[in-house]
Amino acid sequence: MEILDLDVAALAERLRSKKISPVEVTKAYLDRIARVDEKIHAYITVTADDALAAAKIAAAEITAGNWRGTFHGIPVGLKDLLYTKGVLTTAGSKILAEFRPDFDATAWARLKAQGAVMLGKLNLHEFAYGITSSNPHWGICRNPYALDRIPGGSSGGSAAAIVARTAPATIGTDTGGSIRIPASLCGCVGLKPTWSRVSRYGVVPLAYTMDHVGPITRTVRDAALMLNVIAGHDPNDSTSSREPVPDYTANLRAGVKGMRIGVIRELMDGLSADVAKSFQGAMRQLTDLGATVDEVTIPTLPTANVINSIATFTEALEYHDEWMRTRPNDYGADVRRLLESGMAITGVAYVRAQRARTKVLADALAAMERHDVLAAPGSAITAPKVGASRLVGEGEERPRAATRADIEVDAVDKILRFTAPFDCTGQPALAIPTGLGSDGLPLSMQIIGRPFDEAAVLQVSAAYEEARGAIAAPSI
Amino acid sequence: MAQLSGETVKNLAREIFDYEITDHDARSVASVAGAMLTLSRQLGALPLSGIGPAFGFANLNAEAARLNAKKV
Repeated sequence: MEILDLDVAALAERLRSKKISPVEVTKAYLDRIARVDEKIHAYITVTADDALAAAKIAAAEITAGNWRGTFHGIPVGLKDLLYTKGVLTTAGSKILAEFRPDFDATAWARLKAQGAVMLGKLNLHEFAYGITSSNPHWGICRNPYALDRIPGGSSGGSAAAIVARTAPATIGTDTGGSIRIPASLCGCVGLKPTWSRVSRYGVVPLAYTMDHVGPITRTVRDAALMLNVIAGHDPNDSTSSREPVPDYTANLRAGVKGMRIGVIRELMDGLSADVAKSFQGAMRQLTDLGATVDEVTIPTLPTANVINSIATFTEALEYHDEWMRTRPNDYGADVRRLLESGMAITGVAYVRAQRARTKVLADALAAMERHDVLAAPGSAITAPKVGASRLVGEGEERPRAATRADIEVDAVDKILRFTAPFDCTGQPALAIPTGLGSDGLPLSMQIIGRPFDEAAVLQVSAAYEEARGAIAAPSI
Repeated sequence: MAQLSGETVKNLAREIFDYEITDHDARSVASVAGAMLTLSRQLGALPLSGIGPAFGFANLNAEAARLNAKKV
């Protein structure tokens, strides 16, 4: 089996048993990046020399019998929103185009301490404020399944790199769906853990009260393996949870017999035929595996998008306030418009949104009283074309020949309303591919859990993944 | 519907945020923010009585303690 065909779990086993070396693995990924990233633009910075140096150190340590853990010698990519000591950290912006932090984000520091090898920094929607990853400063990131399609965002590079096989594991962040949207549209696994489960220290914020950090990987097991390393309290992030960190791989083979899965009624309308068929097929498979699947309702769930928007408008503007005064023209048009919109949101609206947020979480927990996890589609559609998706306030250039109705996709209705509610509630949510649509593009679903019950989310997802089987990889 | 005009947005941006915004952008922002403010009022129709924002003293205290602690 080729190195690039191996997931993290398989790579780790071969590295530990010295069947392959970290240098071989790192070189294979750097070669792959050199061959295909020009088409995808998943990377903003490739740290080839540093990666090879780190791989050599890992090789020497493993050879000497000092294996540090699962990620020892495993190459990873990081969303360019995470601070990396001495390494360019742009947040996909012009404003931070020359920023080199003097410390590492905690999530990366924990992987690095285990001997992980950083391949580089991954492309994203500017300042993580958008879902296309069509970055005006660092290049348009493209979907490996179809280069005229967006990978989703904001962690577009993090998902595109997984599917293009230019990284075996990456880190993304999620405030309105930015881990799960690109995972859904690119066809890989994206886990947004419970809010506060992973430290946000050293991550450029979008909205403090809703920012999450989590893994984007090829398999559910790999997501669990990475969460094992990056989860846990961090004294540098006072909001990070002190809840104990279990072994997230412990129940991956436990199956779903007797488990109860609730399909969220409020997220079952407006689906494309392919999405609806694929999601129903996934539910049938879980039923065949022994789970009980029925419908639940969370009446306030639709308000979560408004809550998410109001909180993000306000909190994002507070972070960007100074730059908006001094460097407004250094923002892309869409991000600047969103930040400008925050100027007219009142304090009353913000506090009310935060109060309503509690109500939505209470309703979501009530819906879970008799269910282990919830399920919903990852989005209503497959990946839109580059330039076709519209967020409220976005003003992108469009081809003159087409009418707006022909090419425009309402990103809130078709994509964000499926993901943003769980940033609002802070529940763990995992996006997993369910197949390819008639257009050849990935389809997905989400499994959502109780706060801090990532283990159940991973257990159900792993059982489904095994039953589903492999999905054809893109040919790049 | 909150009646937010482009002119109001321009004045808000200039006088509160020291920020100049074009007429076109101000109209767009007025539309987006006006819709959000209207939807915010609708949130007030939820049964929010007795629900406080989840800011919490525990978070406040922990963050203050972190600021006073030596960086790890």
